[in-house]
Amino acid sequence: MKSCCVRIPHDKHSAVMACHLAMESATHQQSESPAVATGEAKPSDIGPGSMSSTKGRVSWLEKLTIEQRILAGFSLVFVGILVVTGVSYHNTSIVLANSRLDGRSHDLLQLLSSIDVAMNEAEDAHRRYLVTGEMSYLESYKKVAEQKPTFAAYLRELTRGSTEQEQRVGVLDRMMDKQLSAESEAITLFEQGAFRSVKKMALEGAGRRELDVIHRLIAEMDSDERQAMNRRVADSAVGTRNTIVLLGIGAFLQLVLLTWVYYLIRHDITERRRVADELQRRGELLEAANKELEAFSYSVSHDLRAPLRHIDGYAALLRKTVEQSLNEKGARYLQTISDAAKQMGQLIDDLLVFSRMGRQEMLRANVNLEQLIKSILADLRLDLQGREILWTIAPLPEVKGDQAMLRQVFVNLLTNAIKFTDAKPKASIEIGVDRPSSSEIVIFVRDNGVGFNMEYASKLFGVFQRLHRADEFEGTGIGLANVRRIVHRHGGRTWAEGVPEKGATFFIALPTRSNEP
Amino acid sequence: MTAAKPIILAEDNPRDAELALAAMEEEHISDKVVLCHDGAEVLDYLYCRGQFKSRLRGNPAVIFLDLKMPKVNGLEVLRTIKADINLRPIPVVMLTSSREERDLAESYALGANAYVVKPVEFHKFLSAVKELGTFWGVINEPPPEGPQSVPLHS
Repeated sequence: MKSCCVRIPHDKHSAVMACHLAMESATHQQSESPAVATGEAKPSDIGPGSMSSTKGRVSWLEKLTIEQRILAGFSLVFVGILVVTGVSYHNTSIVLANSRLDGRSHDLLQLLSSIDVAMNEAEDAHRRYLVTGEMSYLESYKKVAEQKPTFAAYLRELTRGSTEQEQRVGVLDRMMDKQLSAESEAITLFEQGAFRSVKKMALEGAGRRELDVIHRLIAEMDSDERQAMNRRVADSAVGTRNTIVLLGIGAFLQLVLLTWVYYLIRHDITERRRVADELQRRGELLEAANKELEAFSYSVSHDLRAPLRHIDGYAALLRKTVEQSLNEKGARYLQTISDAAKQMGQLIDDLLVFSRMGRQEMLRANVNLEQLIKSILADLRLDLQGREILWTIAPLPEVKGDQAMLRQVFVNLLTNAIKFTDAKPKASIEIGVDRPSSSEIVIFVRDNGVGFNMEYASKLFGVFQRLHRADEFEGTGIGLANVRRIVHRHGGRTWAEGVPEKGATFFIALPTRSNEP
Repeated sequence: MTAAKPIILAEDNPRDAELALAAMEEEHISDKVVLCHDGAEVLDYLYCRGQFKSRLRGNPAVIFLDLKMPKVNGLEVLRTIKADINLRPIPVVMLTSSREERDLAESYALGANAYVVKPVEFHKFLSAVKELGTFWGVINEPPPEGPQSVPLHS
């Protein structure tokens, strides 16, 4: 309401006041669009602030979206399960391998003691044969000699993989061969009748030395194998304990992680529910506010007009009643009363249209701008009578939007162009498309009229903002405000360029994709 | 016969009423005008109740109806008139300040015969009221009176 004062600055004082008010409304305007930007900037403003105040790890977590956090949680659980499974498998397979090795060790120990016994027996048997010549002893010896390759092969098999034992098996094998061959040599000598030379052997034993080595080797192997077995038992015990501990810790960690993920999801759901509730509440408030606004504008349209009609009506009745005695001054006063009432009526009407533009539902369709301009010019032909205007209209595209609203936009822009080129002997008005882009269509209306100073460009689209005195050009100053409001509702932008006395260009940019919810 | 039929002007605002009467006076039809100050009075007139108990029987030539009135508003009066088989033929002209689409749509839906927005400028208001008064009060032939005119009524 106070911006009404801007329009008719008569004396110096009111001009200053008007300027002040105009600046005020200009700042209001400017704050209109950056408000969106600050609104968007807010969360990121908070982000770095908390980052510096808390640990880096937390801010790293905070940067993640809820989905990423949940995914991270589940991934960690998955990785944990993999690790626990892998390590358990490894440990268990070691225990299994150990128990297999244990079986082999038991076999080896048994074999070693059998060999020990067998070699003793061979020694015994050949000596007894040498002494007695009894054939049954020879048979016993031969049996051991026959068994020997089997023993050796079995030994190799049972010690495969353990280099130390394999080496010993090599030596043992050789010693056994040596013992047996020494003994069989002695037997051969005996059979050829060399009793004397054999006698000593029979007492001492032909392979006595080798047998001692064999005993020693077998004892070493036995003790080694027993040690290895003890080691493996201890290993298996440790492995089993580790597995149990790992399973316990893993289960605990997974429980913690899953609890965390559950908390995240629950927190998110609660948050979403809260936001939804809040949105619904605001929606209801907005609806109530809209209803109130509608009632208000209804009341304005009905109640504010009545007193205006009365002012004009009674002024007319007064004029009629005192017509004879009315002097020129009195007549002018009465005329001013009527004019003021009419002007206010016009302002109310314009304001109502403006308000309706803001809340009216939009009907989106393809709008053929070329046809739209044609029909507007046809409607304006009365205003164009007696005017010589050079029209330049470029091929115009189809746009998405509300036909009636867009019509209002171009009616305002074209009547402005026609109005402000009134004083020009050769008026020219151009409508064209500027800056082809994939995201928006920019259409301009250019005239060579009175133009404007770019200093005031920001005020152009304000409600009831006028850059010209009321006696220069008629109008209430609502037209461009309507243009901006409609274009904004289409998700577009408006701006203007001008040079005083040279002309003005008004741009509207409409998005190619409609993005109004 | 038509000259005798009154014109009902339903207007709660005395200034609007005075201005309208001033306009009718210029056309010399103001003596036919019956002024009602709210919707209830209009209905009282039509049903010959209250202060109109002893009026001459017969329907008016036309009713000029304001929308926003105390007690019973214009739309309610209109609904009552158009729902009553005897009153339905009376031409009803909405004469209002409201330019709201909602009011327009509802008025016509209820069966209003015309809808006129009171112009703010007096000379336009004057000519509008004059034309309305002359057309509906003088030029237009009102529906005949009595039940025989309504064949639907048994």
